[in-house]
Amino acid sequence: MIRIILLLMVGLLMVGAVIGCAQDGATKADWPAYGGQNSAWRYSALDAIHTGNVSQLTAAWVFQTGDNDGGLQSTPLVIDGVMYVSTSHNRVFALDAVTGKRLWSYRYELPKTFTTFYGPWNRGVAVAEGRVLMGTLDNNVVALDARTGRELWKVNVEDANQCGCNITAAPLIARGKVIVGVTGGDSAHRGYINAFDLRTGRHLWRFWTIPGPGEKGHETWAGDSWKFGGGSTWMTGSFDESLGMVYWAVGNPAADFYGGNRKGDNLYTDSMVALDVQTGKLKWHFQQVPHDVWDWDAAYEAVLVDLPVNGQMRKLLINVSKGGYTYVLDRTNGEFLTAWPVAKNINWISGVGPKGELLGRNEPVVGKPKLICPSIGGGRSWNHGAWSPKSGLFFTTGIEWCQEVVSQPETPVEGKTYFGGTFKLVSTPDGKSGGHLAAYNPLTGKPVWRYEYKYPLLASVLATAGDLIFTGDAEGEFFALDARTGKKLWSFNTGSGHRGSSITYAVNGRQYVATPSGWGSAVAGLMQQFWPETEQFPSGSAVFVFALPETKR
Amino acid sequence: MKVWAGLVILPALLLAEQQGSLGTSAVVARGDQLFAQGCAVGYCHGTAGAAARSPRLRGRVFERDYLVKVIRDGIPNTAMPAWGDRLTDGDISALVAYIQSLATASSEGPAPAEAASAAPPVAVKESELSPEVRQGRELFYDAQRAQRCSNCHRLQGIGTVVSVDLGKLNKQQLGAEAVAAVRNARARRVRDVVLTSGDRFPAVVVDRGAIVTRVYDLKSTPPVLRHLDNGEIQGIQAQSAWRHARVVQGYTADELRAVWAFVGWAAQR
Repeated sequence: MIRIILLLMVGLLMVGAVIGCAQDGATKADWPAYGGQNSAWRYSALDAIHTGNVSQLTAAWVFQTGDNDGGLQSTPLVIDGVMYVSTSHNRVFALDAVTGKRLWSYRYELPKTFTTFYGPWNRGVAVAEGRVLMGTLDNNVVALDARTGRELWKVNVEDANQCGCNITAAPLIARGKVIVGVTGGDSAHRGYINAFDLRTGRHLWRFWTIPGPGEKGHETWAGDSWKFGGGSTWMTGSFDESLGMVYWAVGNPAADFYGGNRKGDNLYTDSMVALDVQTGKLKWHFQQVPHDVWDWDAAYEAVLVDLPVNGQMRKLLINVSKGGYTYVLDRTNGEFLTAWPVAKNINWISGVGPKGELLGRNEPVVGKPKLICPSIGGGRSWNHGAWSPKSGLFFTTGIEWCQEVVSQPETPVEGKTYFGGTFKLVSTPDGKSGGHLAAYNPLTGKPVWRYEYKYPLLASVLATAGDLIFTGDAEGEFFALDARTGKKLWSFNTGSGHRGSSITYAVNGRQYVATPSGWGSAVAGLMQQFWPETEQFPSGSAVFVFALPETKR
Repeated sequence: MKVWAGLVILPALLLAEQQGSLGTSAVVARGDQLFAQGCAVGYCHGTAGAAARSPRLRGRVFERDYLVKVIRDGIPNTAMPAWGDRLTDGDISALVAYIQSLATASSEGPAPAEAASAAPPVAVKESELSPEVRQGRELFYDAQRAQRCSNCHRLQGIGTVVSVDLGKLNKQQLGAEAVAAVRNARARRVRDVVLTSGDRFPAVVVDRGAIVTRVYDLKSTPPVLRHLDNGEIQGIQAQSAWRHARVVQGYTADELRAVWAFVGWAAQR
């Protein structure tokens, strides 16, 4: 019987491939990749836990990683009943996903004296072909044997003491390649995306996010500014197998708040780029913010969805940006469709025009404080949204906060911080600073419901076919909302705030929901400026796993 | 908060005395300026030490010696860099005075400092380097080149030691003619590794254990440290077609002379 069903499923998949049906980015038993699948939906087809029984959800096990420094910002992966989770300082644990029992652990050997401006955290590993892949704090990529945790290869991308950069994001795996980005956008550094051979670690291609002399786009950088112009790629990209395109969002130009040294549009900073997976060559780009002087990375997730637009099925890409706008593009060619805000307090522009152009730029001034909303922490932070094909809604958090920015000229020194100014968090003009999570129509940006919270919400969103939305807050509550109404249905306090990405998986037919818990990160630090009490919020580093009681499922 | 005031003002006054002609307020003002340029920036300590990614400094009491050490040497394995190579002792003292002055500040903080913009950026302390050595240093580490010396050699704490430690070259070796010395460097340690899969590549053997052999795979750039199961190694051959001249072909003869000048300078330190 099972074999017949499998055959039927294979048949359906083949039909789907032939008629080019919408891609399926839903996860099932496994959570195999950082964003769920390489389309970054963060949506699971599992529905054993649903709106009707989620109130029965109870802790199954907890795993303490032992390294609280920087909290726990990771996304665990689950493949064939084994959970892989990385922590600050590049430790990796393989756990039995049913019991939480440790199968192996790996401690990356960091240099003895080593400074990292971009924090000790790690946001996840990739697993493919029996290997666990991870980028490191000192800018190496390592491959481990997924059965034993033994190191298989290690390659240095660029000396971290020279570039002041490192890797905190999970790698993307596409066609046997390990594709990794880099931090460094607030330092004097030139960003890139690299691909390595999954089996040998050999370098395959590099895409510079800032074109060099002789390359198209180089003319958008004045003088030598391209050498130290930032353009980091500090989160994980997405991949469309049928188009053979890798999508990666590129961060801000450096110096962040001062653009006097880098006159021009500064391609490809603050841009979505589409690369040929085989060669790393640019297929198209869309720049959200030409000549950014606000530190508005476009660096967040690229969610690949297929939706009808004006009656025609389109291959789209959704990208929430730090400036507070969500961009919807055609992912075959980069055509701009629409942009809509995820925060109410946005004053750095008055809006986005019909071609994606910025209207009414409001730029920081040298030597004088200026009110800019949102704050540098973003109209949303990097924590990811989720797309549910079942409800047709895109779920993402948003933050209401402002800052006073003072721009200041700065001369770059390779690998050193290169910020060009200072900022101080201040209240929004309406006095209602805080966070929210909302359900949006992705094409119109119209919110269906909104869940409000007194602090920024800094954990990723998880959507499931059980019509549930999971996320966590700064005070340690991990909770479930009804995806259709936003009503809170269940909550559990894990004892430390949420800054990572929850997942769901199944082993032997039983569905589990897992969340990292552990307060920390740059933006959590920023919050102390405006909400001093958050300085007392405890750090932590644990994975909490929940399931329905065995008898009640 | 007022309780702390006496504790803080005293060291600041002592510091002012050490500074000679500069009064307390001038020292603190200089520290304020340096702080705005190097410490308040971006995600670091925030305007007037109000906290950001890095810890809050406002309203906290720190020992002078502790601050001096941390500013000068940094804190390893954290985001706190060492400023000793970029700041003079006087700058560090001024910063310390300013940070100590924040001890009595409320968490609200003053308005952002004015007119920091006109001041020059924090100076880089360039030592007695000749132009050629300086050029050689840039070329050695040049991040814009896929093939650069630091891919396989480490000097002054930057780079990967795949093979020859250039910092240990002796006077006689360093006295060789530059271009020939670099281009014709004999790669005594490079072998050809042949795997049972048929893959063959030039490599430097790092160590051979009972189960695993570690090699630097030189087939691509940068080199990959691979842990090979001894069972997957068919053979390691002493002869290899790998040549140093090929990996340095991106450098002109003049550039190689500059690189060699830098290597010589660095090796003697």
